[in-house]
Amino acid sequence: MAWSKPTIREIG
Amino acid sequence: MIDADVIPEIPRGVRVHRDTVRNLWVLLAPERVLPLDDTGQAILDRVDGTSSFGQIVTGLAEAYAAPRDQIAADASEFLTSLQARRVLDLKS
Repeated sequence: MAWSKPTIREIG
Repeated sequence: MIDADVIPEIPRGVRVHRDTVRNLWVLLAPERVLPLDDTGQAILDRVDGTSSFGQIVTGLAEAYAAPRDQIAADASEFLTSLQARRVLDLKS
């Protein structure tokens, strides 16, 4: 599988 | 960079959850949700409270076609960022 840099976003 | 013998652990009250409505994995914390991409989910899939960071990176390096150093750096940044958001513990 191809690796990609994991991203973080946060979520009323 | 996280030391290889540090053990990441998801704390009480936080869990990885499958959002079937949006068809994605999320990290569910009190009053917050963090959507996970494929690699983020793959990293947290290996966080079981007993595996060390070094073991997690080894598992990822076996599954993904990327240099181990790159995987270690990206995974370290990801987990450190989760720790800063208080949705992950790093036990040394």
